[in-house]
Amino acid sequence: MSATVSPIREPLIQGKKSYHDITVDLTRSTEQAPSKTWWIAFLISVSLLMFMIFCIIWTIWFGIGTWDLNRTIGWGWDITNFVWWVGIGHAGTLISAILLLFRQKWRTGVNRAAEAMTIFAVMCAGLFPVIHMGRIWLAIFIFPYPNTRGTLWPNFNSPLLWDVFAISTYFTVSVLFWYAGLVPDFATVRDRATGLRKKVYNFLCFGWTGAAKHWQRWEALSLVLAGIATPLVLSVHTIVSFDFATSIIPGWHTTIFPPYFVAGAIFSGFAMVLTLMLIARKVLNLEEYITLGHIESMNKVILATGTIVGVAYLTELFIAWYSGYVYEQFAFFNRALGPYYWSYFGMMFCNVISPQFFWFKKIRRSVWFTFLLSIVINIGMWFERFVIIATTLARDYLPSSWSYYVPTWVEVGIFIGTLGLFFTCFLLFTRVAPVVAIAEIKSILKVAGDQYVGVNTEHHKQVVEDFKKADSEGKAYAADHHNQESH
Amino acid sequence: MRKFNKEIVFGLYDDETDLLKAVKTANADHLDIYNVYTPFPVHGLDPLLGLEESRLHIAGFIYGLIGFLTAFLGMTWVFTKDWPIIFGGKPYWSVPAFIPITFELTVLFASVGMTITFYVINGLGFGVTNPILHDRITDDKFCIAFDTHEVSEGTAQSFFEATGASLVDIKNI
Amino acid sequence: MTTYSIPSKQRTFLLAGIIIGVLSLVGSWVFDSQEFHMRFWTNFLHNSVFFTGIAFMAVMFYAICNTAWAGWHTQFKRVWEAMGMFLGVGLILMGIIALGVVFGWHHLYHWADTPSVEGDDLLQLKSAFLNKAWFLVSIALIGVWYLFAIKFRNRSIDEDRNGGFDYKHHLRTRWWTALFLPVAAYSISVVMWQWVMSIDAHWYSTMFAWYSGSSLFVSMIAFTIMLLIYLKDQGYYPNVSMEHFHDLGKFLFAFSIFWTYLWFSQYMLIWYANVGEETVYFKTRQDDYPLVFWATLAINFLLPFFILMRNDTKRKFGSLMFASIVVIFGHWLDFFQMIKPGAVHTAHELREGHGDAVGAIADHAGAHGEAVGQAVEHATSTFHMGYTIPGLWEVGTFIGFLSLFLWVFYAYLGKANLVAQNDPYLSESLHHHA
Repeated sequence: MSATVSPIREPLIQGKKSYHDITVDLTRSTEQAPSKTWWIAFLISVSLLMFMIFCIIWTIWFGIGTWDLNRTIGWGWDITNFVWWVGIGHAGTLISAILLLFRQKWRTGVNRAAEAMTIFAVMCAGLFPVIHMGRIWLAIFIFPYPNTRGTLWPNFNSPLLWDVFAISTYFTVSVLFWYAGLVPDFATVRDRATGLRKKVYNFLCFGWTGAAKHWQRWEALSLVLAGIATPLVLSVHTIVSFDFATSIIPGWHTTIFPPYFVAGAIFSGFAMVLTLMLIARKVLNLEEYITLGHIESMNKVILATGTIVGVAYLTELFIAWYSGYVYEQFAFFNRALGPYYWSYFGMMFCNVISPQFFWFKKIRRSVWFTFLLSIVINIGMWFERFVIIATTLARDYLPSSWSYYVPTWVEVGIFIGTLGLFFTCFLLFTRVAPVVAIAEIKSILKVAGDQYVGVNTEHHKQVVEDFKKADSEGKAYAADHHNQESH
Repeated sequence: MRKFNKEIVFGLYDDETDLLKAVKTANADHLDIYNVYTPFPVHGLDPLLGLEESRLHIAGFIYGLIGFLTAFLGMTWVFTKDWPIIFGGKPYWSVPAFIPITFELTVLFASVGMTITFYVINGLGFGVTNPILHDRITDDKFCIAFDTHEVSEGTAQSFFEATGASLVDIKNI
Repeated sequence: MTTYSIPSKQRTFLLAGIIIGVLSLVGSWVFDSQEFHMRFWTNFLHNSVFFTGIAFMAVMFYAICNTAWAGWHTQFKRVWEAMGMFLGVGLILMGIIALGVVFGWHHLYHWADTPSVEGDDLLQLKSAFLNKAWFLVSIALIGVWYLFAIKFRNRSIDEDRNGGFDYKHHLRTRWWTALFLPVAAYSISVVMWQWVMSIDAHWYSTMFAWYSGSSLFVSMIAFTIMLLIYLKDQGYYPNVSMEHFHDLGKFLFAFSIFWTYLWFSQYMLIWYANVGEETVYFKTRQDDYPLVFWATLAINFLLPFFILMRNDTKRKFGSLMFASIVVIFGHWLDFFQMIKPGAVHTAHELREGHGDAVGAIADHAGAHGEAVGQAVEHATSTFHMGYTIPGLWEVGTFIGFLSLFLWVFYAYLGKANLVAQNDPYLSESLHHHA
């Protein structure tokens, strides 16, 4: 009994796990009482969340004037945070959808948590445009519905309205996708539970039985959802980039924005996944499921997307010069050498230079270094959005209206508070649901479990031998024959 | 309360390869399998059970098409008939500007519609309680179930014994 | 050991194709109704860029698969290795264009014409990048790619002979492929700006290199599908199964959509912002080249989208072959519309009297260049064979370059085993299940 696996692949599940071991290990976090660390983290997160709510009430009560936005810099921390959070929300769907289509098996270790992270990040993101409206009770106007104003419609030609559709669709589809994956795992938790817990999980798992036909449809659903979530995830940050690129603001209006924003989003999303998972694997004892191999793969994605982002930065810079358009040239001169030069160099250092450390295998596989760099990249991607938004606006066409912007405590409070919201949700998630997808890990056990490495290597050698023999005789290698033997 | 109207005899296997072998044996012996339950999707099982390929994606396409038409025709109607306004010097019927929302609604309709269809045709949903034959089926056991009206208890017992089931039991559901 | 040998019939066939190509080039040189042999040179550039780019994309995708630990493609990775070898020919072809730039044989590039540059502020500014030296650098980059391609291929062939179960060859190649990726990412941008975008010397779009690159990528995948179907039909690659074709079909489908995404993003942003310097590019194409402009979108998006949307069409030779042929033609047409209008415009400007006209408008419009009014002044007919739509000489030239490409491909494919026997992923590729 063996699978056809290349001998140079690293096992993805360590500790010679049986199916039952996997169940026990991965449901444990939902069954045990929370640890002291968890409570401390939870209390801190909830306090930050409370502070955010306070700051939001403050904003609504006194008005947007409590932020230091001005006529020149109309978008500051608010939209920076919005774009930053949306970007972070990209890794989850990327891991579960695009890597599913590319059959990257290592995604099974991190997809569940990454998808959860996506949902929470999009929640944090969605908050900003809504409170930025000022009169939040009129937020309903953004939806096209028959109304009493002679049915006045929103402007469908506005990228800001496209955002409403994109973010809400993305949120909905991410939740559906995530939950479809959770259903069988909730059933696993249900069947281990008793009493009220059993009832609750039976409710959550929709009465899942594990029947063959259900699994077949479940796989079909996952594949199609992955297929349509892939262009969706591209579209979301593309549309966010349209918010800027459709305008005629120098530094904003550039055609590379859509793919460049998407690459940056994946980049920051992976950084955030790493930040969270490095902690989670330690605290929840998941080292055997989220191995150094997983971390290395994610670091490679970070290196690749960091390089793409680097290409985009330099492209922008070059074409700004090449365009011969003085305002565009000035916008980039101002970014790099203007009053906000520190954020530009912060961005360049964090996003383009720091990932280059990942060229070294030792660093890719070092937990501490990865953790450190993942935070550096998170900061760098925040700087990127700040550079694009605030520093570009600070020096507009009219020198008399040039301005400088520093956030107030309210703005900072809301931002820090979203971190509280994010971590509160994530901590609750680790208590309620299996952090690693149980069924999916089981389905790759025979391929990627460390106890199968030896037998799979032998199988590989046998296949190669048979192939060479058939090939030298000028015959086709009979893969079917081998399949029957191996099962 | 649900009615118990079926008597099910089932056997549990420890590994998916044993399960696949057993299903093949059952097919060879012309035993009519009531259902197979597994903790994760087992590849190669569907053709053995004669399950047709799922047509869920066709439903998804239709939902997507509805979403596409809703968005595109809706915006067209609003901006050419119901309340035409010129935005930024663009024509009333600004096709490029309609594409983002059209795309989003296509995806939204397709995925929401398909997911709902998935739960409905599987008989899953909030508050649904389906009978569970054994607690380990969602853990590490692979289960073949026979309806005693189709396959007698004795036949099933000897089948499970012959194919190496680790546990055999009967349950009314 | 299964190796490929070119049947003599095929040799004759390809030779005939190359002769057609040569005749078409001669024809477009002799019977060109416009000055500067513009038609000859645009066709030459168009096809050289297209096929060199496809070879580059084969090497690039090879490197991506290698760094991403992909195993499914291992059986037919020799196909990409052989496609990459066309870079050597591409070096010569683009070298001829470069010599033309240096010695003034052609007037493809507005910026290469000294009198025009003197009277044009924008071109003067750009001359720091748009100059002969940089053009030669861009040609040298093909050489760099070629060296990488040779390196990959040699190591892979050496693995057949000397590789063992320690997989040293593969692990070392992985290092080289990883190094190639950033080199490729940066250099493809530079060469696309130099070779294609600078034909419309005043126009710019940051997305351009990615857009044209995705066009080449789709064509490369389509070529791979076509060649594999052909080779299978000849009895080679018995173990390349429908699962492999299904995956290639998915790539064709997905990247056709990706191309459309980039097309739309570029078009929509320029349309939306409505800045004259940028819209002139699409204005020219929509007004003077409507057929080609809209046909590329229909062929490269609608057809592959609807043909390949279903699972079963990705698993049938007929539909895959049809989609591949259509898409290759579509992207060739896409490059036609990237190259021809700018070159026609340049020829027109130069005929009107070496830069004076440009200079006058440029002075008038200030630093923004002469964008305004550039669009339609030279329009004669919207359906002018060889100018606004491809004519017989264009198709003939395409056949010639295609035959040359295939010739080189088959020659290199025949020089090594068809299957890399000691590749560590061979077993996975042989047992590839969707």
